[in-house]
Amino acid sequence: MDPITYKLPHTPQGIQKPGEPVKHISSPAVTGSSVLGIKYKDGLMFAADCLGSYGSMLKFKNQHRLHAIGKSTVLAFSGDVSDFQYMQETLDELMNSERNWEDDQSLGTKSIYSYIHAIMYQRRSKVDPLWNSYVVGGIEKGKPFMGYVDLYGTTYEADSLATGFGKHLAQPLMRKALEDKEGDLTEEEARDVLLRSLRVLFYRDTRSLNLYQIAKVTGEGVTISDPTHLDSEWEFGRNIRGYGF
Amino acid sequence: MVPTEHHGDQWEPYVDNGGSTLAIAGEDFVVIGSDTRSSDGYNINTRYDPKAFKFTNNTVLATTGYRADCKSMAKSVQAQITKYAHDHGKEMSVEAMAQMLSIMMYQKRFFSYYVFPIVAGIDKEGKGAVYSYDPVGNMERVGFRAFGSSSALLQPFIDDQLGFKNRADIKPEERELHLPDLQQAKNIITDVFNGAAERDIYTGDGLQLFTITKEGGIELEELPLKRD
Amino acid sequence: MVPANRRGFHFDNCKRNELLESKGSITAKFTKTGTTIVGLIYKDGVILGADTRATEGPIVADKNCEKLHRLTENMYCAGAGTAADTEYTTNMIASKLELHRLNTNRQPRVVTAASMLSQHLFQYQGHIGANLILGGYDINGPQLISVMPHGSTDKLPYMTLGSGMLAAMAVFETKWKPNMERDDAIALVTEAVSAGIFNDLGSGSNVDVVVITKDRTDYLRNHSKPNQRVPKQTSYKYPPGSVSVIRKEVRYHSNANQSPAAVVPEVVMSES
Repeated sequence: MDPITYKLPHTPQGIQKPGEPVKHISSPAVTGSSVLGIKYKDGLMFAADCLGSYGSMLKFKNQHRLHAIGKSTVLAFSGDVSDFQYMQETLDELMNSERNWEDDQSLGTKSIYSYIHAIMYQRRSKVDPLWNSYVVGGIEKGKPFMGYVDLYGTTYEADSLATGFGKHLAQPLMRKALEDKEGDLTEEEARDVLLRSLRVLFYRDTRSLNLYQIAKVTGEGVTISDPTHLDSEWEFGRNIRGYGF
Repeated sequence: MVPTEHHGDQWEPYVDNGGSTLAIAGEDFVVIGSDTRSSDGYNINTRYDPKAFKFTNNTVLATTGYRADCKSMAKSVQAQITKYAHDHGKEMSVEAMAQMLSIMMYQKRFFSYYVFPIVAGIDKEGKGAVYSYDPVGNMERVGFRAFGSSSALLQPFIDDQLGFKNRADIKPEERELHLPDLQQAKNIITDVFNGAAERDIYTGDGLQLFTITKEGGIELEELPLKRD
Repeated sequence: MVPANRRGFHFDNCKRNELLESKGSITAKFTKTGTTIVGLIYKDGVILGADTRATEGPIVADKNCEKLHRLTENMYCAGAGTAADTEYTTNMIASKLELHRLNTNRQPRVVTAASMLSQHLFQYQGHIGANLILGGYDINGPQLISVMPHGSTDKLPYMTLGSGMLAAMAVFETKWKPNMERDDAIALVTEAVSAGIFNDLGSGSNVDVVVITKDRTDYLRNHSKPNQRVPKQTSYKYPPGSVSVIRKEVRYHSNANQSPAAVVPEVVMSES
């Protein structure tokens, strides 16, 4: 009799045979969708919803996806949660070993970004990537910095960044907001465009949630809000009748 | 299976981030143009991600292809150049750097950098030098070269305008006597990149125009390109 | 083989093509327009918008093409997908609607066009790659219906399609309201298409708009032109003599009153 087998989302695609080349790349299990980041007058602002999906299942509604690294850096992630947790442990180790010098110095945003990129690029070069996209941002020597890294080790910087579906839905809105104000948003304007973007993502990204967090980095340091409910509008649906005939 | 952003039976460790580069060697100068768009499929990653890197006071490395590899390669080159300067008490020449890059690329023959590099600078005789490579390190010194997503548009054009290929009024042996002057070369690069931004969807946003002369070192001008 | 007297369609050639493709033979590539097309309903009618870029892979094939197709005086159709399919499908439906108008002596209705499109595309089981936004005004007021390649339809107050659909939808989802004024609605459509033009590489160049109201249709070709070409720095005129002449031949068109003997071809061999 055949044994009963379960196929979970993270089941590897084949069985390793001795002597064969090592096969990597398992599929992600619990995942987060888009994260957003934008520069404004006093620093940077980040946004992400609180959903940890398990395949198409809405599994965890308290997944924190914005994290402070050190005193003035925020790390926002999308993609596989366990791969992120590995990255977070690695970064904690790094920050601790830096603290052990007791020289009152800690790694700045650019150094953290560079370290994350190094890990991501190394893992892609082993063809065993960490299944994540990151937005890293903060203030270093009084200047704002924000960069993107993904599982390919691809990096780039811009005044607004997004991962996942946010690349398609939120970036156009954030770029427009920055263009209209010539890259000089107030805190209210930055928050407004992030909330608008989150709302669009809630409407149009099936792996999204109307519960979000906002993180801020200013000269004062990092603040990350509690999970907050996002309002949305469905009234227009009342007038929709059928599909054409 | 869990549907995610990137998925497939076999994960590909390469991405094409688009963009174009073009270098022209003159009698005593070189000009290097490159656009600043970084893209992934139909998406613009950022409108400003320079892909030409300045080394020493005399050399520029312009790259296209997979940007993570471009940057990693440029970093390794920079490390070697710094080490060379410390070891020998002088800056590395373009010729040396060109040869070094070829070797560095061939060392990764079986997991190659997906990069199409151009090295440009002033050689030991004071002449403009342009070196072009394939992704595994095959090197060639040329008078001008276009690489990247617009290369098929740009190369035939400069073959005609600068190489005088198939021109009845200039004999083949006289072709290299008609080198462009600095202004001509700069004009061609700006015109050609505006043209590329019109017709190649991966080229646009901004143009970086490097000019290298023996006296002036490296000068950089930044010009806007179409953003659609 | 399908018997000659069997009715309906058969897709033997599609299967054959798939087989040939899997064996590595080259199959026909066709122009797929990466596109941003949008449509919305406002107070007095319906507005459609489109970008004007047509692509062939990474190359811009046409910088100012038309993606808003006229079906009747009171109906337009914005098309995304395979260029030939959107063009021929809308042309065929336009022709059928005109005959229908002549036969019935009535203004064609939007549902008529929608079911014609839907049934035509369903028959071809998705092999006609037309993604359409149909907008029109008839006795039932303004209507906006999308038709997908397999024949499914949707009836919504605002919609976007094509590779730039997400960029455009982000704009609609934040700014669309019911019962907008004409100028605001045109501005919103323009902004949505522009979001596609500047954020999606498959879309570009200009914005075309059509406004359809109860008794008037305004086709605003190139309503916005945000991507004008910059002038060239140099002239690329060739000096005379830069092209080698291989052979020179002059032929005169024969006239009715000219005898064939008078037509003397002049052939000059050049020096090179």
